Amino acid sequence: GAEELQLLERLLGLPGGNKYGVQGERKVPVLQSNSGPGLTGLMTIAAHLVRQARREQLLGSTAEEKAVVQQWLEYRVTRVNGGSSKEDTRTVLKDLNIYLEDKVYLAGNTFTLADILMYYGLHHIMVDLTVQEKEKYLNVSRWFNHIQHYPGVRQHLSNVVFIKNRLYTNAH
Amino acid sequence: MGFGDLKSAAGLRVLNDFLADKSYIEGYVPSQADIAVFEAIAGPPPADLFHALRWYNHIKSYEKQKASLPGVKKALGKYGPADVEDTTGAATDSKDDDDIDLFGSDDEEESEEAKKLREERLAQYESKKSKKPAVVAKSSILLDVKPWDDETDMAKLEECVRSIQADGLVWGSSKLVPVGYGIKKLQIQCVVEDDKVGTDMLEERITAFEDYVQSMDVAAFNKI
Repeated sequence: GAEELQLLERLLGLPGGNKYGVQGERKVPVLQSNSGPGLTGLMTIAAHLVRQARREQLLGSTAEEKAVVQQWLEYRVTRVNGGSSKEDTRTVLKDLNIYLEDKVYLAGNTFTLADILMYYGLHHIMVDLTVQEKEKYLNVSRWFNHIQHYPGVRQHLSNVVFIKNRLYTNAH
Repeated sequence: MGFGDLKSAAGLRVLNDFLADKSYIEGYVPSQADIAVFEAIAGPPPADLFHALRWYNHIKSYEKQKASLPGVKKALGKYGPADVEDTTGAATDSKDDDDIDLFGSDDEEESEEAKKLREERLAQYESKKSKKPAVVAKSSILLDVKPWDDETDMAKLEECVRSIQADGLVWGSSKLVPVGYGIKKLQIQCVVEDDKVGTDMLEERITAFEDYVQSMDVAAFNKI
C-alpha cells in the first residue's frame, strides 16, 4: 500500500515528502495532510498523485480508456491483495491471461496507471511462479515482462525472469 | 534470423510464435524494427494467429508516429527467432520505405523476375521446412564421465568418448576435474539436437567403453 505509493511517486518524478499511514485491519493507505483529514484509499491516492504530477494521460485519454483504467484499479483493490488465497490468485491470473491475449497494455494500446498498479500488486505473485506456470499464463508473463522493463517502473523491486525459449508448450 | 516469407501463412506462423511472449519485435518499446516487419505483412494476420494480430493492431496505433520511432530499419532477415533460416531475398524487402504508404500494396511494383525469384525461394523454404521443423530444439549437455581408478588413462578415455559420432551430436570442450584420491573425472560439453540424440543413447555408448568408463552422469542440461 504505502510502499507502492512511494514507488509511484518516484516513477512520476514527484519530489516526495508525502506522509503515508495505514488505517484499519485491511491496512488501507492514507495520505496525511497538514490541512485536513487527508486522503484514503490506494486508487484515490494514486489518481491524485498522477494529477499532481500532471500526467493525466496515465488515467486514460478517451472516456472509454478512462473507464477501463478505473476498472483495473478497482480490480486491483478488490481482487489482488496481500491476503488472497492460492485459488483466488489462480483465478486472477486466468482472467488476466484471457484479457491480455489481444492487448499490449491493460487499457489496450497505451501505458496507464492500471498497468503500474497491477504490476506492483502482482509482483509478489509473479516472483513465486514456476517456469511452467509462467508459460501457462503466457500473456500475463509477456505483459509483466514488458511493464517491468518500462523506464522508472521497477526501481528496487526484483526483476522477474522469463526464459526466452519456451519449454513446455508448442500449441497456442 | 528472419521469419521466412511474411506474405505466406508459414511466415506469419513463425511471427506469431515469436510474438507470443513479446510485445515488440525488438526490445520493450515500439521501434523501426516493428515498422519494418509491419510493412512486410500484407494485412492484419488471421484471428487464429492471435499474438501476431495483437501486435499488428498495437503497431497500427503508432501509424502516425512511425517515422519518429527509435532505431534503424534493417533487412527483415535480421529480425525474429535466431534459428529460422533467413530466406528473404532481394525480391521482397530492399525498399527505402519511409515514403511508402503503410497500407499500400506493393504488388504492382514487383517485376516478373522478382516474382519468380520469390516463388522459387518460397518453394525452397517450404521444402526445407517440411524436412525439418522451423525451430530445431537443441540442448547443451555437460557430462561427467568417471573412470575406474586413478590409474585409468584419461587421455584414452577422452578419445573414446569423442569417438562417439552421431547425427545431431557435436562435442565441445572438456576438462579433467579431480574428485578425490587422485581420481579425475572427465567433464565434457556437447550440443545435441533433441530429436536425434538423447542422454540415454549417450550413456549407453559411453559406458560401452567398459575398460575405461565406470559410469556417466549428466552434470548439467540446458536448452538452447
